[in-house]
Parts: sequence; C-alpha cells; structure tokens
Amino acid sequence: MSACLHCGTAVEGETEAFCCPGCAMAYEIIRGVGLSRYYAEREACPPRPEPASGSWDSIPLETGPDGSVATRLVIDNLRCASCVWVTEAVLQRTPGVLGATVSYATGRASLRWDPAHTSLAVLAGRIAALGYRPRPLGAAATPDRDLTVRLGVAAFAAMNIMLLAISVYAGWWDGMEPRWAAVFRWATLVLATPVALWCAQPFFAGAIAALRQGRIHMDLPIALAVALLYGHGVLATLSGFDGYLDSLAMLVTLLLAGRMLEGRGRRHAAEAALALASSLPATARRETADGLETVPAGELRAGDRIDLGSGEEIPADGVVLEGVGEVRMALLTGESAPVAIGPGSQVVAGAIVEIGALTVAVEQAGDDTLLRRMARQLGVAADRGLAPTLADRIAPRFTLATLLAAAVTALVWWRIGGGAVALAHTVAVLVVACPCALALSQPLAAAAALGATARRGLMLRSAEPLLALGEIDIVALDKTGTVTGGTPTVISGADDAIRIAAGLERYSAHPIARALLAEAAARRIPLPAAHEVVEVPGHGISGMVDARHWTLGAGESGEICLADDRGDRSIIRLGDRIRDDAPRIVAALQSRGLRVALLTGDHAEVASAVAVQCGITEVVARCGPEGKAEWVRARQAEGHQVLLAGDGINDGPALALADVGIAMGSGAAATVLVADGVVGYPALGPVLAGFRASDAARCAIGRNQRRSIGYNVLAVLAAALGLVNPLVAAVLMPLSSGMVIWGATGVERTVRQKEER
Amino acid sequence: MNAVLILLPVAIVLGAIFAALFVKATRDGQFDDLDDPPKRILKDD
Repeated sequence: MSACLHCGTAVEGETEAFCCPGCAMAYEIIRGVGLSRYYAEREACPPRPEPASGSWDSIPLETGPDGSVATRLVIDNLRCASCVWVTEAVLQRTPGVLGATVSYATGRASLRWDPAHTSLAVLAGRIAALGYRPRPLGAAATPDRDLTVRLGVAAFAAMNIMLLAISVYAGWWDGMEPRWAAVFRWATLVLATPVALWCAQPFFAGAIAALRQGRIHMDLPIALAVALLYGHGVLATLSGFDGYLDSLAMLVTLLLAGRMLEGRGRRHAAEAALALASSLPATARRETADGLETVPAGELRAGDRIDLGSGEEIPADGVVLEGVGEVRMALLTGESAPVAIGPGSQVVAGAIVEIGALTVAVEQAGDDTLLRRMARQLGVAADRGLAPTLADRIAPRFTLATLLAAAVTALVWWRIGGGAVALAHTVAVLVVACPCALALSQPLAAAAALGATARRGLMLRSAEPLLALGEIDIVALDKTGTVTGGTPTVISGADDAIRIAAGLERYSAHPIARALLAEAAARRIPLPAAHEVVEVPGHGISGMVDARHWTLGAGESGEICLADDRGDRSIIRLGDRIRDDAPRIVAALQSRGLRVALLTGDHAEVASAVAVQCGITEVVARCGPEGKAEWVRARQAEGHQVLLAGDGINDGPALALADVGIAMGSGAAATVLVADGVVGYPALGPVLAGFRASDAARCAIGRNQRRSIGYNVLAVLAAALGLVNPLVAAVLMPLSSGMVIWGATGVERTVRQKEER
Repeated sequence: MNAVLILLPVAIVLGAIFAALFVKATRDGQFDDLDDPPKRILKDD
C-alpha cells in the first residue's frame, strides 16, 4: 500500500505513484519548475485536481503602460502556507508571467503577464492543475490611503503639540516669561494648522454633505467644534493667552483612528462577500453550419443549438434534443442529488452537467433566463439603504442642547463678569461638549464585534445586521446546504463495497464519486486498481476490480447498488448528512429563547427526520421560494423579527425579506449578494457566534454611550460653572475617548467568555 | 534658553520630514497589506 505522491490518497500496490492522471500532472508541473521541496514542507495535502470549466476570455483586465496586463483572482482550497507558496512560485515560473503574488491572509492572487506569451486561461489552468480552484475577482476595494495619511499627520502633530503643551502648562505653576510662552504657542499653532485645515477635512465634508440633504449628522457637532477650537486658538495665540489647540489635535487624531478602524472592518466584509459571489462567466459551444463555435453565454439566442459536456455549466434555459446525462441544480432548487435527464427534459441556466453529453435547444438566454430573472428580483428586494446609527439619531438634539447650554452660559457670565469672561467660559462649554467619545462609541464597538464574527466564520456586511441580531426572535433554517452539508455523503456501507466502489469511481468527478472517495479516505481504505471502466450517464459505472466485473448503479432512492457478474450484491446508502455541529448549535439557539424553524422544499418525512436529528420541533415542508418568503412575511406580520439562513437561489426572496438574511458561502452567488452576511465555512456555528458578538457589541455600545453622554453632561455643567480651562479639557477629552476605546476592546473578550461557558 | 529659538524650528522641520516620508510610504502602498510580507520573508527562495 502506498499514498498518492500529490494528494495523499491511499492507493493499493507499490507500483502506482499516483491515484489519478490529474495528480500525476500536478506533480510534473511542480517538479518541472524545480519546486520538489514543496512535498517535504507542506502541512496539508491539496485536493485532487479537477478540470476547470467556464470562460477566462471575457474577464476584465487592466492594461499597463508597457503592454502587460493584470488582474486579480480568488483561489479556493489553499490549505497551508506551502500551498500559497507553491502556487505563487509555479505562477512566477510560468513563461510570460511578469509578476505573481498570492496573499497568505486572503488567498487572493495578483497577476501581471505579457499577453503575447501567455493568457489568463493558461495561468488559471496551471492553478487548477495543482488542485486549487481559481475564480475571477471583481474590482478590489482599495485601502483608504488618504485616511491613513491624514491620521499619520494628525498623530504626528498631536504628539508634538502635547510636548509643547506640557511646557506651557508647567509654566502656570513655575512661572514662564511671556515671550517664551508665546514661542510655544506659535509653534503649537504651526503644528495645529494642518490638523484643523486638512486632517479634519472628512468631518467637514461629512457635515456639509448631510446638511445638503437636510439632515444633521454626527459630523456636524464635530466639525463645529474643530472650527471653533481652531478659530479660538488663532485668536488666543495672537492675543497671548492659552487656547485649546492641544485638545483639537488629540480629538482629530482619535476620531480619524475610529473612522479608519470602522472602514477597515466594512471593507473586509465587502471584499469577503465579493469573493464568494464571483464566478466565471459561462460560455457556450454553439452549433453552426460548419461545426461548433465558442461564444459568450450572453450572445445566445432562442433557437440556437448548443453542445454540453461533463462538468459544464448550462449557459441558457432550454430543452434537451439529444443525449442523456445527469444535471445538478443545487443552485436553483437546493436539491443536492443530480437529476437524470434525456431528450425532452427542460434544463435551466446555472445547472451543472455532472456527467453526459447533451445537445440543447435554447429557449431563453441572457437576461431572460430564470437565474437572471430571480437574481434581478433579489437585487431589487435587497436595496434597503443605510439606517442611521444611534449617534446620528441623537445628533440633532445633541447639537441643539449644546448650543442652548452655550447661549445660557454666555448670557449669565456676561452679566457676572463681562465680555472676556463670557467668551472664555462659552468656548469651554462648546469644547467639552464635542461628542468625540459619543461618535466613537458605536463604530469602535461594532468594528470589534464584526472582527470577532469574521474570525469565527461569519462575514457581516455592516454593523446594522449585527445590531439587528439582538432583536431576532425566530431563527429559520433552510434544510439542504444549511442544516445539512448539501452534498451526498455515504451513510452506511460495508468496507469491501466501499473499497471496490471507490476504486471504480477514482477517475470520476461525479458527486457520488466524491462521496465514495471521501468515505474511503476517512476509513483509510486504499484504492484498488480498476480496469475497463465504463461510465454510462444516468445509469452508473462498471469495470474490472480484483479480476471481477462490477457494476455500480442506482438502487432504491438514496442507495447505490454494487453488483458483480457472479450475482454478489451489496448496498451503499447515501444521504445528505446533517452538519456535525447542527444539533449543538440548534440547542444553543433554543436555550437563548429563540424559536428555531426548519424550512424546506423537501417532503415532510425527510424534513422531519432531519428536524428530529437536530432537535427542531417546527417544520415547514414542501415550500418553494415563494412559500418561504410568504412564511417570513407572515411571521413578520405577527410582530416577529426573523433571521433566515439559506443557500440556494430559491431562498433568495425570503433572505432579502428577512430582518437578517445569512447566506451559506457555498451557495449561489446571487444569494450572497442579497444577504446581510455570509457564512464562510461549512458549519452552522458562525450563526451562533453572530448572536454572541451582537450581544457583546450592543452591551459595549450601550455602556459606551451611557458613559460618553454622562461625561458630556458633567463636563458641560463644569464648563458652564467656569471650572474648565485648557489644561482640564486636555486631560478630560482623551480620558473620555480612551474610556470608549477600552469599552470596545472588551468585545472580543466577552465573546470568548460566552463561548467557554 | 535662546537655543530653544533654534532648536524648536529644527525639531519641527525634522519631524515634518519624517511625516512627509510617512505620507510618501503610505501613497506608495506600504501600508496596504500588513499581513502578508511578514509571512513572505519566511518562504523566500
């Protein structure tokens, strides 16, 4: 017994080095470019290579000034650092490639090559030949360099101003010649000017943009405070007293830092969703008078005849004219098992031909296909707009209250002490009223919580669904692909039968073959050699193993039957197994007081069997896309807040309708685009992690807001009484913001504590 | 004490030079990806 040199699958006999020709080719490629040490260094074996399908010709490319072209890809299945390294090195050593980098953190590849010597299809083919799956990646969300620069400059100025400010404040007690105090004040003004006029520009822009739309945004009181502080600072420097420029620089730095953290969390989530949603544009082989031509799927017209082979995605809706085969429509129906089709069968765009050769007459193509029509409806339903944060909602009242307090202070002190005193105290009120901590309270805690959920496999689009999770009282789970794995797996079968069946199927890419090979690997059964293997679409596979002729074909529903020429028969049961963590997660959700329901288009018996296994009592069987949406709408009409987790496009309308819609990442691209969040790996656990992070975030935000509002009220009172001077403000403001930042860092800790309990 | 009159502008100008270098580094993309380069140096051949 030996193991396949490339993918590690156990193989019988000492003579065979590889389990399949794909692995042999991958080994040749890696050795051919001198990277043999990959096999010694890797920590995880790659999956078996499978042929790539789809078209690489119509991917948008960037053309550089020297005529080279560049694009970015997502590469799936990268399992360890060595996988990344070998992929990158193979690409770099491919003739015609000018530059190739693969990110260890995200699995994104950036490629630049000379179009005269190689093409994207060749490069994608090289990646696929190694066993990894390349997919095109749309426009990249570029990191906000502008904000980084502003933050860097503001932080630089703030720290230097702090040094100068300490000297000036020290002079209050030890005494300082007025001319030296003036030197320090002028130096402070020099440093603070770029902070106020340039670094703080995003806040002015935000406030003005909101005002144009007739709204008062949290940026408005901030912009007002910055303008006031700077104006007062200039006046103070000219006339020789201490201003609040140190507080100004500190405030702008903290706010920019908060904004950058917030933007980074949102960009990561957007990029993750984009990567999951990107797939190859389909092409079609159209029959013409003089043979076949390859055209983009969009150019097909009703009446065209197209040819399809194993592994190809059907590019248009139509009817089968000739040939037999099996297609998998998981994307549309959520049904994981392939369906046998023959002449006269209807097929839809987006389905995948698992095996067989078909000629199809096109009925609907391009935007008229069922897939596109459903995706369009989803797009309309998902257009929800951005809800204002709590800080934005209280911003108008906050601004009004501040101005009122300032007016009262000015009036009272005018009566008591005259103009100069009134000005000093009024400015102090406006300065300490700046809602720096309040503006930071939500973004920071939300960014921390989004990071915590993303590390646990749930990428949420923004802070809103995260906070909305707290209101949810019904969790509806789709069956296929959500509660279950969505692909056939072996449920029972004798070791001998598995060994022979896996041997027969070792070169096949059929889902049942994958299930058998996975089971053989799990039971550590080496694959035997098979000869004279014949695969008949819709019927099964036959061949010689151990000098006997075996036939593997469909038995009763959910079974496959292995028979030999002497009449020996054995049955292997296949099924869609529930996810390992499903019962535990369902129980955890229920113990939170959530009502958990199972929605499925499947029969009632299958549905209740799954429901019993994972402890769900409420089952809604036999409901299609409309049925699911209707169910969600009915629960919402009863006053419930519904979370729906699903994968297929048939869950799309309900996902868009639900208060929080979560797509399983393995599902249809359109589903990922309408959902509020995406589960990045095959488990239900991330959904529970989302609830925990939401609790932690809402708790932290509430605490932060209470603290910062409390701080503002006390500080405004103190300032109105004339107790605040520049030194007090310089100490108080960073303290209040620091308190909020400290509150936000507790989110990850809280989530971890909840997990351990 | 008069040294401050020279030292202070010098300090600010020196600081500004470093701030300018930081701005240039950011615009060149040095802060775009902070996760990969530390792993990459371990795998260089």
